[in-house]
Amino acid sequence: MKKENLTKQIGAFWAHYSYIVVMLVVMIVYAFTISVNGSSFRWSHITAILSSQNTCIIGTMAIGMALVVLTGQIDLSIGSSLVFTTSACIVVFNMTNSILAMILTALAVGAILGFINGALVGLAKMPPFIATMGTMLIYRSLSLSVVRSMDTSISGSTSSQFAMLRSNSKYDFLRFSFGTGKILSIPYITLVFLLMVLIFIFVTKKTKYGKSIYAVGSNEKAAHLSGINTTFIKVSVYVVTGLLVGVASVLQACKLGNVTPASSGKSYEMYAIAAIVLGGISMAGGKGNLLGVIFGALSYTTVNFIIVSIPSLTVDIQDTFQGLVLIIVILIQTLSPVLKEKAQIARRRRQAESHK
Amino acid sequence: MKKILEMSHISKAFGGVKALTDVHLEVNEGEVHALLGENGAGKSTLMNILTGVLQADSGKITFLGKDYYTPTINQMEEAGIAFVHQELNVINDLTVVDNIFLTRELTGKFGIIDEKKEIQTTKELFDSLGVNINPYAMVRTLKTSEKQLLEICKALYTDAKLIILDEPTTSLSNEEIDHLFGILSRLREKGKSFIFISHKMPEIFAIADRYTVFRNGHYISSGEIKDTNPRDITSDMVGSTFVDADMYEQRELGDEILKLHNLSGRGFDKVNLSFRKGEIVAFTGLAGSGASEVMQTMFGVLPREGGSIEFKGKNLDGSIAYFMRNKIAMLPSNRKENSVIKDLSILENFYVAEHVLSFRKQVINKNAEDARYEEQKKKLKIKAGSSADEITSLSGGNQQKVFLAKWLNTGAEVLLFNNPTRGVDVGAKAEIYRLILDFAKSGKTVIFNTLEIPEVQKIADRCVVFYAGQVAAILDHKDVSEKTVMSYSTGIHSQRG
Repeated sequence: MKKENLTKQIGAFWAHYSYIVVMLVVMIVYAFTISVNGSSFRWSHITAILSSQNTCIIGTMAIGMALVVLTGQIDLSIGSSLVFTTSACIVVFNMTNSILAMILTALAVGAILGFINGALVGLAKMPPFIATMGTMLIYRSLSLSVVRSMDTSISGSTSSQFAMLRSNSKYDFLRFSFGTGKILSIPYITLVFLLMVLIFIFVTKKTKYGKSIYAVGSNEKAAHLSGINTTFIKVSVYVVTGLLVGVASVLQACKLGNVTPASSGKSYEMYAIAAIVLGGISMAGGKGNLLGVIFGALSYTTVNFIIVSIPSLTVDIQDTFQGLVLIIVILIQTLSPVLKEKAQIARRRRQAESHK
Repeated sequence: MKKILEMSHISKAFGGVKALTDVHLEVNEGEVHALLGENGAGKSTLMNILTGVLQADSGKITFLGKDYYTPTINQMEEAGIAFVHQELNVINDLTVVDNIFLTRELTGKFGIIDEKKEIQTTKELFDSLGVNINPYAMVRTLKTSEKQLLEICKALYTDAKLIILDEPTTSLSNEEIDHLFGILSRLREKGKSFIFISHKMPEIFAIADRYTVFRNGHYISSGEIKDTNPRDITSDMVGSTFVDADMYEQRELGDEILKLHNLSGRGFDKVNLSFRKGEIVAFTGLAGSGASEVMQTMFGVLPREGGSIEFKGKNLDGSIAYFMRNKIAMLPSNRKENSVIKDLSILENFYVAEHVLSFRKQVINKNAEDARYEEQKKKLKIKAGSSADEITSLSGGNQQKVFLAKWLNTGAEVLLFNNPTRGVDVGAKAEIYRLILDFAKSGKTVIFNTLEIPEVQKIADRCVVFYAGQVAAILDHKDVSEKTVMSYSTGIHSQRG
């Protein structure tokens, strides 16, 4: 009896906080690989993980992805959207030398791109996978064709890249004071990411809007019959994702100073999905905690660091390991209820037979 | 007459609830056997046992001389029993031919499907039955009646000896029913047997040879159709039911507050009804009668196609949220599918509807919400632990009470309940009746849709019986009896000639 209780408790903990366990395991593995390499695990390793663009930029977008996935949908366009909004806000910065104009542009453009996704999915009732795959192709290709034709005095760089103009007076502040600056060894852009997560933990836990997101993702029909405007909810999460892409694009611009439409942000949608899945958010919708996005993003970054820190692994084989880690984590998540049910059926069978 | 099926001494309990107690069923070769009983009489349970979906606790099935105790689905299929479900199990995105041969494809060389042979076989099968369906058609494009015939043909192709038809006529027109019966008669002559589950007396007397009646999981009677009449069968089905007369009490009713004027919509036409403050009105009718559709239209779930819904003189038309703002609430049928939001807690399931009304004030005050929940919990006697527990941790009856509380919490004055006692145990049912009476006493108008006549007798001031999308009768409390309601809802006679 006692043993059963303990397994039950462990099961409950796993169900709610699997992302913490995942991150701890990944961290321990990372510490181990570092010590094998002959050095010791230090605070600087952790800040490196915290300040990585995988954590901050993808993490910020992953918050939006998490909201979309919670409603039972998906957004494949965020990587391309990031390129488009970053391009737009760099151009506006180069033209105006205004931080406010840059930020507003990023948010507005992001929201518009998100609304286009939302309208296709929520209003035109297209399957989210296809609709956002279409916009994924469109958003990147538009940035690419613009960068080719744009005057380099505005794009700020060659014909393949948008870059912030060094000659602008606000450049140093954005790039050095903010973009790579730190407080107590934690980068500002990491703080922006953490602030975003905190805001959306509040939204999902404490607001009526947040609860509607879960309701729609868990049982859309029941949510509709409870009076929730399910179309509004489904469209709005794309717009919110767009706004977060806007935030991420400001971070991208400040941290890196440029964006290359042909290559920047490629596969970021996949990384964001990986981060939220590691963060314990169910792809089926309705289930998951936004806190998991922090842990998921950190775990994902750490996995990358582990792979890089093993010298015998070439770049070519890295994706295999990333893929394996993902599959193993998901396997544990999906398999455990199946195994539990099988065990239950077997137990009932035995009982029925003993009654005969 | 050769007996092909005998089910004897079959019992089955779910948890502590007895669904079947020592029942019998015998079916002869070449007959249509009507299996009759009210909802919950145990017909579906018995059919599920016969087809191997459920295992009986005790009893024996003898089919074509062979004994079975706890057969599997495959065993019974191979033995020659086919089940044509009410919700047809055809695959919409395959052609007619592909559906018939699914998993039994005729193959030629190298295992490649021999389409010519399949088409040929299908045509022969259809011709022999007088079925006129294009074998190449996509099943999606077929009418419901054609899908039904397709399922029957599929069963015949597998050489089923006994075919179970579960309320096959609910969505068929009179002509289609005649056609179906023609085919059943022809197959009967060829020695096929049918178990025919239906509520509609005229049909049973048109097609069935013999019948068996169940009531509350017990075997009641069986015999030849030609030796009986609809009234006797109805009283066998209904029995001398015990009515808890103590529960109902005559009350002073308020003024008219809600009026349906020539309301038309999906599956019903020109319905005129009026409801008073504090009144309890029951809607009843068999599947497809329009009762549930009228209710859903009154809450903006289904579109209004004509007429008006007037609440306190105001013409209502809009989204579900609009009806909610106008003090109307609806508890949907099928709790698991339409009410339970499984990933939300009890409290979250409770407040989700009210939050639609107070959406402008975004931040949730958990203490205030908990206080509102506790108040309803006490009033409705909800047995639950913490409000943060999962909704699925509650019993069916307590879940349903949480959803009643959810709608009371919206401050609605008109409460529409669609099958509120479906899937809850007897004790919880009685409590829900008591609550409905309490709601009415506190001035709310309650309209509930039900298939169970005893509950109409227990609580309703009036009963509206629907048949074929029309109001067949409006009965006062004292005039409600199972026999009268049954006769109106099965179309034996209609009040309007």
